[in-house]
Amino acid sequence: MTIDRREAAVALADIDNVVRRVRQSRVYRIASLMLMLWGPLTAIGYVVSWAWPRYAGYGWIAIDLIGVAGSYAISVRSRTGDGPHRFDGRMFAALVLFFGFGLLWSVGIAHFTPRQLGAFWPIYFMLVYTIAGLWLGIAFVAIGLGITALTLVGYFFTGPWFELWMAVVNGGGLLLGGFWMRRN
Amino acid sequence: MAELDDIIHQPLRLRIMAALTALPDGQGLDFTRLKKLTGATDGNLGAHIETLAKTGYVAVTKAFVGKKPQTTVTATAAGRGAFARHVATLREIIAGSEG
Repeated sequence: MTIDRREAAVALADIDNVVRRVRQSRVYRIASLMLMLWGPLTAIGYVVSWAWPRYAGYGWIAIDLIGVAGSYAISVRSRTGDGPHRFDGRMFAALVLFFGFGLLWSVGIAHFTPRQLGAFWPIYFMLVYTIAGLWLGIAFVAIGLGITALTLVGYFFTGPWFELWMAVVNGGGLLLGGFWMRRN
Repeated sequence: MAELDDIIHQPLRLRIMAALTALPDGQGLDFTRLKKLTGATDGNLGAHIETLAKTGYVAVTKAFVGKKPQTTVTATAAGRGAFARHVATLREIIAGSEG
């Protein structure tokens, strides 16, 4: 069989396109599992903050620990080989930097109120999510921007129902985003 | 210059092999996901998978997930090798024309 240069280039472009779609599909698959883990956890965190505000800090620490352990388990179980989503030393360092920076400013320097903390963390998390989405896929950007907008709406307009609003839009948004990614 | 692989060169089979070899060794794709990733239809995907399986380039396993039957297709070592050689030949064709 002989083909010319143009046909060879078309075939290679076709291969590149499929490989890109497979990689994105695998990223979406693991991300969807993590969102479906973090969605209910986040919802529980906000409900605890609303019902027992004195214990909110302990509640969030427990939820973060469970979430990080669960994310690690999902990553290990997915046997992903190489790729941007492998939970390795760099991923651990990224988490330390992420939480370190957030704690430094929200608690150490700025002393946010509980309501400000409740808005800061999801927006901060979704900022990273949105930026990552510029490389990983449009679903990340859509989920990041959507939850950020709904968080701001809740912060300014929901009064004493802010935590419950956040339980629905943040927890529910992550869960729905996970299902949506899984379908894609 | 090495020869192109007639089995792999067919456009849909090329896409099937590209999708399967993009996965780590031993991992496969279920039929539905493979169909979506390659843009194939049920009928032609099944026929081309059969061709690749007969050549020994892919392995097909059928199992039940819950009550639903699931067909998983995995690239074999022979298939990975053939696909890598095919891609190398395509690159040689392009490089040869440029030189």
